[in-house]
Amino acid sequence: MNSALDKLYAILRRDLLTSIRHRSGFVLTFAGLLAELAAFYFLARAIGPSFRPNGIEYFPFLLVGTGLYTFFVMSTQAFLDTVQEAQRTGTMEVLMTTSTAPAELVILSSISTLAGNLVNLVIYLAAGAAIFRASVHANLLACLVVLVLSLALALALGITAAALQVTFQKGSALVWLLGSGLWFLSGTMFPIQSLPRSLELLARAIPLTYAIEATRMALLQGQSVTSIASSLLALLGFSLVLLPLALWGLSYSLHRARQNGTLSFY
Amino acid sequence: MDRVVFESVRKVFRHRPALFNWLGRERGGETVALRDLSFSAAAGEVLVLLGPNGSGKTTALKLISTMLLPDSGSVRVTGFDTRRGAGQVRRQVGIAVASERSFFPRLSARENLEFFAALDEVPRRERAERIDQVLDDTGLAEQADMLVMKFSSGMYQRLGIARALVKRPCVLLLDEPTRSLDAATTAHFWTTIRTLARQQATILLATHNFAEAAAVGDRLLLLQRGELLADRSIRSGESMEELRSFYFHTTGEVDEAAGMAHRVGRVR
Repeated sequence: MNSALDKLYAILRRDLLTSIRHRSGFVLTFAGLLAELAAFYFLARAIGPSFRPNGIEYFPFLLVGTGLYTFFVMSTQAFLDTVQEAQRTGTMEVLMTTSTAPAELVILSSISTLAGNLVNLVIYLAAGAAIFRASVHANLLACLVVLVLSLALALALGITAAALQVTFQKGSALVWLLGSGLWFLSGTMFPIQSLPRSLELLARAIPLTYAIEATRMALLQGQSVTSIASSLLALLGFSLVLLPLALWGLSYSLHRARQNGTLSFY
Repeated sequence: MDRVVFESVRKVFRHRPALFNWLGRERGGETVALRDLSFSAAAGEVLVLLGPNGSGKTTALKLISTMLLPDSGSVRVTGFDTRRGAGQVRRQVGIAVASERSFFPRLSARENLEFFAALDEVPRRERAERIDQVLDDTGLAEQADMLVMKFSSGMYQRLGIARALVKRPCVLLLDEPTRSLDAATTAHFWTTIRTLARQQATILLATHNFAEAAAVGDRLLLLQRGELLADRSIRSGESMEELRSFYFHTTGEVDEAAGMAHRVGRVR
């Protein structure tokens, strides 16, 4: 346990030092985040107060939808970037020869990756509430449960992207899928009930839909765990299936890469 | 007991052309990197792997480090099979790879070593002292707190060696460790290698440098196209010229450098 904490500290420290030494990147991220919030705020104003999807004001609706969607995309991208960078710089092979088991290494690295993106999400939501006056009525327990399940889901997506990158050198395919097809199907900017019936059914098969829906209900409408139980159960189901599958996929892809000598191919 | 044992190890790399290969000229096929290679290395022994490019030296080192898995045969390190006991093997093995830039560029040399030391489970209380020691041994003490993105090739190479040494492995794998080093650092490094061997570390060193082989080696394996051509001891006091002549005689390659030396001598 101590050894795992020690390694986690080492990974967090590496990522923190690397990110703060990218000073311009730090500032640009924050500026970009504010610009995005302003765009959504004025979009909601232009559409007018009468548009209240699922009974929620449009700006907070957008705030949660885009914030969470960005969290998923950026987390997946971050996993991919980590693997690609390790392949490019040659650290991939060296990391795989340390005393830390590859699966443990990926999970510990993912905690750091997700923590960074979670901080961005919190800043995004807090700035939306504080600067642009989005009304928030949070049920903290429900928010916490949604957060844990969303993290499990983000972990599964990130690990899948990493496995795709190791196997086919094409983890970007998953990020492309998230960025192109899933954003409009997952209720990010409008309720999925506005979609044609067939697409709405498709949207119900996407785990992100439940994460966004449950977060809106818990964070904006103050709904309790029991009243959002159906979304939570769907999220739990997806996590229980996708997470072990993603871990198995990564373990298999690393084994195959060792066999084929393609660990550092990119 | 032998620390490292190869038993009839075969490794083949298969190349599959890209899906739309009519646009390019990529060829399919396979490269046999190692053909039924068998050898062993004992504690305290410095085993030099010599051979032309593509002879399988780096593949052999990568198989020991668990970066690669054998197609058939077995590789054992301190009794653990690299397939079934990869975790135990990785705890015993340190590797300095030829690719120089396998570090985190925005961390300093010391921060990089601290990171890898944590992953290699070096006890926290010993970490600072060991890192100072390997930075000294590799001549990087003065650059310890410089970001490695500012390092030269030679400094990267030294840091790679430092990383391999910091976990104090009982099996040390070195792939052309002195390729980019200056003469003084190289000489100091050879002394470090002999000291480690006296402390019972098993060292496998892949090199093209006959002087290095003669200076630090106890035994040499000569590989060509994945096959073992020779496995013999290096006599105390055996010169680099003797090794060189043995190499060219056994591999059948043409020693153009000798001809060049002869011509240079004639010009003088």
